[in-house]
Amino acid sequence: MSTLKTRSLIAFALCFCVALTYVAPAALAQKKTAPVEATPPPVREEFKFGKVDLEVLEQVNLLDRRFERDGMVLEDEATNAYLFRIGQALIPKGLTLENVSWKFRALRDPQPNAFALPNGSVYVTTGLLSLIDNESELAAIIAHELTHVMRRHTYVQNRSNRKKFLTMNVMAAVGAYAPGGIVGAAITAITMIAPFIIVATIFGYSRDLEREADLKGIDMMISAEYSPEEMVNVMKVLDRDIEGENIRLFYNDHPALRERISYLSSYLGARADRVTPQMELNREKSAYFRAMEPMMRHDVQLQIKGGRFRSAVYIAQRLVDFHPDSENLFWLAEAYRTLGPRAPQLTESELTNSAKKDAAKKHEKRTDEEIERELLATPAGQENWKTHRQRSEELYQRSLAAENPVAMAHRGLGMLYEKLEKKTEALAEYEKYLASAPAATDQERIQRRIENLRRPPQ
Amino acid sequence: MTFPFSIACFTKLRKTSITFIAVLITALAPAIARAQFLHPKISKKETTIRNVVILPAKVSVVRDSMKGPEGMAAESEELSGRVEKVLAAILEKQKNVKTLNTPSAASGEGDAQQKYSIADFQTKFDDLLPRIMKKRSDVKKGRFTMGDEVLNLNLDKRVDAVVFIRGQGQKLTGGKSAFVLLVGGAPAYLKMQIGVIDARTGEVLLYTDPLFAGDPTTAVDRLRKALDKGFKKLPVVTVQ
Repeated sequence: MSTLKTRSLIAFALCFCVALTYVAPAALAQKKTAPVEATPPPVREEFKFGKVDLEVLEQVNLLDRRFERDGMVLEDEATNAYLFRIGQALIPKGLTLENVSWKFRALRDPQPNAFALPNGSVYVTTGLLSLIDNESELAAIIAHELTHVMRRHTYVQNRSNRKKFLTMNVMAAVGAYAPGGIVGAAITAITMIAPFIIVATIFGYSRDLEREADLKGIDMMISAEYSPEEMVNVMKVLDRDIEGENIRLFYNDHPALRERISYLSSYLGARADRVTPQMELNREKSAYFRAMEPMMRHDVQLQIKGGRFRSAVYIAQRLVDFHPDSENLFWLAEAYRTLGPRAPQLTESELTNSAKKDAAKKHEKRTDEEIERELLATPAGQENWKTHRQRSEELYQRSLAAENPVAMAHRGLGMLYEKLEKKTEALAEYEKYLASAPAATDQERIQRRIENLRRPPQ
Repeated sequence: MTFPFSIACFTKLRKTSITFIAVLITALAPAIARAQFLHPKISKKETTIRNVVILPAKVSVVRDSMKGPEGMAAESEELSGRVEKVLAAILEKQKNVKTLNTPSAASGEGDAQQKYSIADFQTKFDDLLPRIMKKRSDVKKGRFTMGDEVLNLNLDKRVDAVVFIRGQGQKLTGGKSAFVLLVGGAPAYLKMQIGVIDARTGEVLLYTDPLFAGDPTTAVDRLRKALDKGFKKLPVVTVQ
């Protein structure tokens, strides 16, 4: 009887904790959801800096400097000035915030992302800047990030996390020294389950802050005469997942993109219909591309270096569609050459969550060269490589035939021919490259390739 | 009546194992050097590393407190510099390998293009690192390479290899130290991943991941010992 009682108590305790794991995040999320009202500026007036917040501020100031020093910030005045202009247009006039100095910069990172540091530094990656279509979409991204700074989200979340970590540690200590018997069993069970609940609340709270940033961002966009529905379009851009890397995990700090699209659309309601002439102007695609063309070329280079070949093709194709000059044609040729035997787009089955997880695991185990070799052993891979090498060769030729041809196209052709084991052609192209770009920083690399090609086979 | 394994017994067993692990860690604390893996070119002495360039190390440490981990950006910077210096000294004294001055491109100074070249190459190493760590022994098969893009760094002609240093560590606050002793958990430590890359071909010539237990911001001797052990297998260069 006693054993039965003990067992049922333990079972009850476990059931209670498991139930709490599911119920608690939802309940706490509801409690923590910030009310969203259309009253800009979205500033957290009541916020007072404490010691912990000032420590965070010091850390992020150092991080800011490190980004610059380590060559992570795109040092392109035109791009950064463009971002600054949009940022300034969104910030409510006359707003000054303690310990905030606004900076808007492009980060040299091919992954589509944006983030804000609590000191007012807003970063948008080149990977994201290259995917969007117009100034209003960029304004949507910046407005979202500005809200994080204005509402002091980093500090608020840090304070909240510290309390939760303390609770977790205290519970772990209690669990380790739990007495024996029924009470001890119940305590042990609770302390084993509690961390999961707490982690769920951390992510739940983070999702609430993201939601608040989305909705307040819309208000800021309307005030600055940016079409608010572009916020929804940005979510759709992020949902595109060219590389198959948006993997849904058990816990996510951002709400699911589809969910964001849905609540943003319902929040917008009839306001999406009100369009001013300025809003129309801000949605112009060609103006955006004109301003961002050099940055996008730079990003294609980063995409290739980062092994994101499908994104490279996609972005380079956008550039060629906008302006088919020698340099843009060259970058598209490079993208196709490096895409090699890979398919240019992922299939529906490759875009399922489990397929993406499998691909990520496989990618972790193999190098790009090994993946390429494996693909080349398949008929589909061979077919893709045949198509892509023809496409890249044709694009290199077009690049060289265009007005003001770029010398890099000779280098690209040389690399293509070298891969195809056409030694004579490769040598000729490399030599043309060295002759036409005597100040190029990769002279030594190409010189060495020439030496290797000339070396008789052993 | 009780269970065959009662909760009290389980709790005792848990406490005993935590204490055992804590004692074990303390005993091994000074320096736990992990394995080193050499490319066949180095082990067969086909290639000799005489001069290297150490790229800016990326070592980050956090302060783990009862309220969670806190960043230590300034200390991380300082530690990164210290690891570079200690490694350069060890290579020079123990192996007769000279560390040449980092050119402006490699130190991250100079114009934007130079900064980008080095930043991109550091990123490339970060991309390759998880694959190396997944199967470190494959370095011995010469499986890993960063490609001939290494030549774009335009290093001094005498440079034979480029050294990449990564590290992660934590120091504990007083409260957390007591917590770790009583309840268990990771002690203060520093774990590094160091790759030595051929400056002409980009091949990974050596990979080592030294580790030591102790406060990474102050334990200079332990750092030195860990690095020393980490490069034990690298052949000594005969001075002519």
